[in-house]
Amino acid sequence: MEKNEKVLALQSGAEENVTLLKNFLPAADVLVYRFETADGKPCAAVYTDGITDKQLLGELAARPLSLSPAPATREEAEKLLLFPEIKSADDVAAAAKEILSGNPALLIEGICGAIILGTKKVTLRAISEPQTSITVKGPREGFIEDVKTNMSLVRRRLITPDLRFETLTLGKRSQTAVCIAYLAGIADEKLVGRICEKLKKTETDGVPDSSYVAQLLSSSPASPFKQVGTTEKPDVLCAKMLEGRIGILCDGSPIALTLPYMMSEDFQSAQDYYVSPARATVNRLLRTFAVLLSVFLPALYVAAQLFRLQLLPFGLLMTVSGGVQGIPLSPSLEMFFLLLVLEILIEASVRMPKYVALALSVIGALVLGDTAVKAGLVSSPAIIIIALSGISAYTVPDLTGTLSLVRMGYIVAAGSIGTYGIILLTGFLLYYLLCADEWGVPLLAPFSPLIPHDLRDSLYKADIWALSERPNVFRPKNRIRLRKKETK
Amino acid sequence: MKLCVRQICFLFAAVLPVTRLLVYPATLSFWAKNDLLFAAGMSFVLEGAAVAAAVFLASRTQKTFFELLESNFGKTAARAVYLLFALFFAFSAFLPILEQRGFVLQVFYENLPSFLSFLPVFLVSLYACAKGLRSIGRAADIALPVSAVCFVILFLMAVTEGDYTALLPLFGTGTGILRGGAFGLPWYTGGAYMLFFLGNFRYERGAAGKILLSYAIGAAAVLAFLAAFYAIFSDIALLQQNALAHVSKYATAFTSLGRVDLFFVFALTLVLLFALCIPLQLSVHCVCTALSCKTALPALAVNALLLVLTLVFNQSYLEIQTLMTQKLWVVYACFALILPYVALFLRRKDRALPCRQRREA
Amino acid sequence: MNAAKLFVRLAAFGAAFLLLLFFSNDFGLIDIQKTSIVTAVAIDAGEEGVDVTVQIAVPKSGATTAGNVTVKNAPTMVDAIAELNLKTGWYPTLVHCRLILLGEDAAKTDVFRNIDYFLRSQFVEDTCLVAVCRGSAEKALTAQSPVGDMTYAAIEKVLSSEAQQTGLVSVNILRDFAKGYYGAAGSGFLPLLTVREDAEGGATTSSGASESASSGSPSDGKAVFDASETALFVRGKQVETLNAEETLAFNLADTDTDFAYGNVTVGEKGEPVIYSLRMKITKKLITVRTEGDLPVLHFTVRARAQVADVNRAGSPLEVAQSSIVPENVLRAAEETFRTKLSDAFYKAQKSGCDLFGVCDRLQRFHPALWKKLGTDALTAAKPVCDIKFDTLH
Repeated sequence: MEKNEKVLALQSGAEENVTLLKNFLPAADVLVYRFETADGKPCAAVYTDGITDKQLLGELAARPLSLSPAPATREEAEKLLLFPEIKSADDVAAAAKEILSGNPALLIEGICGAIILGTKKVTLRAISEPQTSITVKGPREGFIEDVKTNMSLVRRRLITPDLRFETLTLGKRSQTAVCIAYLAGIADEKLVGRICEKLKKTETDGVPDSSYVAQLLSSSPASPFKQVGTTEKPDVLCAKMLEGRIGILCDGSPIALTLPYMMSEDFQSAQDYYVSPARATVNRLLRTFAVLLSVFLPALYVAAQLFRLQLLPFGLLMTVSGGVQGIPLSPSLEMFFLLLVLEILIEASVRMPKYVALALSVIGALVLGDTAVKAGLVSSPAIIIIALSGISAYTVPDLTGTLSLVRMGYIVAAGSIGTYGIILLTGFLLYYLLCADEWGVPLLAPFSPLIPHDLRDSLYKADIWALSERPNVFRPKNRIRLRKKETK
Repeated sequence: MKLCVRQICFLFAAVLPVTRLLVYPATLSFWAKNDLLFAAGMSFVLEGAAVAAAVFLASRTQKTFFELLESNFGKTAARAVYLLFALFFAFSAFLPILEQRGFVLQVFYENLPSFLSFLPVFLVSLYACAKGLRSIGRAADIALPVSAVCFVILFLMAVTEGDYTALLPLFGTGTGILRGGAFGLPWYTGGAYMLFFLGNFRYERGAAGKILLSYAIGAAAVLAFLAAFYAIFSDIALLQQNALAHVSKYATAFTSLGRVDLFFVFALTLVLLFALCIPLQLSVHCVCTALSCKTALPALAVNALLLVLTLVFNQSYLEIQTLMTQKLWVVYACFALILPYVALFLRRKDRALPCRQRREA
Repeated sequence: MNAAKLFVRLAAFGAAFLLLLFFSNDFGLIDIQKTSIVTAVAIDAGEEGVDVTVQIAVPKSGATTAGNVTVKNAPTMVDAIAELNLKTGWYPTLVHCRLILLGEDAAKTDVFRNIDYFLRSQFVEDTCLVAVCRGSAEKALTAQSPVGDMTYAAIEKVLSSEAQQTGLVSVNILRDFAKGYYGAAGSGFLPLLTVREDAEGGATTSSGASESASSGSPSDGKAVFDASETALFVRGKQVETLNAEETLAFNLADTDTDFAYGNVTVGEKGEPVIYSLRMKITKKLITVRTEGDLPVLHFTVRARAQVADVNRAGSPLEVAQSSIVPENVLRAAEETFRTKLSDAFYKAQKSGCDLFGVCDRLQRFHPALWKKLGTDALTAAKPVCDIKFDTLH
């Protein structure tokens, strides 16, 4: 609602109020249900079709009112109605906001204003396992688009009075509910205050997804590196909150945000905590190695061919050299071209209808891969390297977008400056990341600054007793999270 | 606080020692021959003493070097000293830049590439200069594991390839040891760095011991490397201009692995990049403190100056090295070794109030 | 100017510049397709200058073949390399050069006139093997190996570290040869390669071999490479040759050899019997001591021997007890080794080659005597051999 609009108050006449509301909400899905009380006084319920539980409206509002004389006051009316959630609205705008949220406005002749009934009923999808965080062991629940359901998923796992939810409304036109969840006594409440303040100071039209909130909370929204953590799983969110982080749930988005964020958390998987520490450590090292491979392998290949043949052992050099004979593109352009093809394939595979997926797989694999090699357009080693690099990036799904950008940058650096270009770009990125402190926590913690205690749950995963204290990086008030009970 | 004790320890243990693994071993071999360990040891002792002096000063005051100068000589004098040090740091970065240029062009390329291949380093150093002192410490945190792992692997690959009796006889070179020690001083500027860390880290109990122990570890690593280097090359040691890239190649020369040691050398080049940026960052820090300005313009100025110098003296490494080591080693001695001691005599407390004011207070 | 804006603009400029460099790809870079990978270099003395033959590895459809290119009468090695570029149109890279072969004529003059190019150049490694050959190095390098290897690979196998460990060959790399040359005594050694034509025409090439012999070689017959002799060098010139037994004795006493086969002849029942012994060196030490003002080179060698074969039929008990060497055979082996080692020492001493590092050892451990004697220490030195062989009991 625009600020300069006059605040229209609701009157005591039911029909008059219906006219006011219908003028304010002319949309065709805003309907009016008219009925009378036992003594013939007119009543009306203005509601939005599709998001209001009409059965509940009829059973718990219209029926008791039609069987009783008209209540004289609002309090009398609220006693008559059997709703656990009842509010009131005295002006048209407030009533309209509730109607559009799925809560109908009940208008009774003789009662000034409207009684808002909590009958929101939205068709939501079922709770299912999120596609980006599949685990073999562990819970399979994922967040959905309804913030209240998401809050209930968190509440179910943290049955403590310390679990707090601070709700805000963002977006002038979307009125999106944003919920900040934290554990009092563990999380930094000053940080919660800063987050709320930052969000409240933001005026925006709409917030369709939590990623908008993430960008609003980032100090460098243009940066290719994440500054806010994300998760689709309630068990992961709860675990992070227990470490001292703050969770942000956004209505309309299944992705919860976590703050503060450290890059090392993307290398952790929920499953790491459900399998043995040794297995978890191996997995983490594998992910780290895969990420390094994904980023550096194409660049090193280009640099080795163009600038430093000695990097390749002699036998491999002969194989590569034989493979690239007659290829029309230089190694750097060849790699750039293949990377472009890979990105196009990935982008297309996400968007294409399922019934053409098979055809596109054939094109991707056979035509762009095998036939291109046979035609002498690209070399086999390059195809292998790009494929390996592409697959490796998906071991850390949250960083895939960043990695593909960084990988492109490395190929350009390697192809233009050479092997030293890889070092320079690494140095530049490190300097950028080293000094990125988001919300008081360095992005590269616990590696830089080195926090020895927190290394136990970084590249390697210590056993549960070694992790009896919360991570030092969050400076938690209550550090101990696991101890053995003293037996008498 | 921008730094912490741990990061300073890592700097001395892992970052600065790597800078002494390029041209320094060959230079030392030329002057001190098989007594290069004594020449290097002498330099380490001198620098260690300067670092100890600065650490002792840090234990006695929380003030920065600028505040100490200001409280003793006034703001103008403090600014002048800082500007002087800014010049020194920029000047002391020039030889390492040329050294790394030669290293990069030899190790990273197989045919003499365009000089353009090295120039982007100034973009990185410009960015690093804008980040300030905090990035020095954070970079040291990253450098330690890289340095430790890569250095150990390279050293293990090299250590069995040498004849260690080549280091005998001891003290056979005579005055060569002194010349090697003196002419090696351009590689020993850690004392000056420590002076500018004053007031930027919180001195904690046992910090002096930790810092000096780390320094000793770094020194031991370099000495071990020098020993292996001379054991491997002995009479042709002075031909090995980029020792770091040469010592470990013999271990895998005839295996199917090829030059796998180059990957570790490349990783150490990242540490060298951090080390190269430190004097530039300190130079910019001095200018900003002296002129009370932001980092952008001083960073641009310092890096532009060094870029121009590098372009002009691109083909004159030998002349520059001769000038810096044989003629201007005194300048390094003054700034990096003597001045930390002189700083010990600076008054650390504020001036006492005059009698009347004390009675009134 | 706002610092952030400045850096954003600089970053944009840097990125644009990089992209320009990337797509232009014009740095004076040499693409791998235009690079010839030199695997071996043969150097002969030319009429005016130096004759250089290089063997280039040519990858062809899953196999690697070799091509040989010769440049005659180049003034220096650099000129020869440049002319290779002109002849082939490819840019030669020597980073994978694994062998430098010197011809007999080239070894008569200071070989470092040519091979110090490999020490000067920043882009050539000093880890390559160096050897001298009888006759022309060009012919040796262009000979065909009977097992279908590229020639340099065949020679590399003969000069491998495995061969060194069994004492058959005295292997040397450029770095160590240069250290000897630039050392106090200016001495060094190289394996002496002899190319023998295989009379039978050679074995059939194995199918599926990833490397095939070079084409265009002057001889149609297959060649076998023998490097059991050692050439001694003083100031870069070849001065003497150790035969196979002296080479074995030298390797057993001084180099990395720790396992060797050797023959000992003993008289049994009035007839000479040859025992082939398998020897495992358990200790080897060379020290320089002073006796008066003279250096004495002490060789201490301890070895454990087993009987590998005898040139007469043995009894079942003898065959079963092959690990036990008879006492007389052990003593004979010691005496043979002692003799051959002394022969090697005196040969080297006579030619002026400090093969066993007398000068270096004196300089390091007895600097005062070294100062007094200088390089005359070599002629003044005497060998003392303390050699003991043992067997299993």
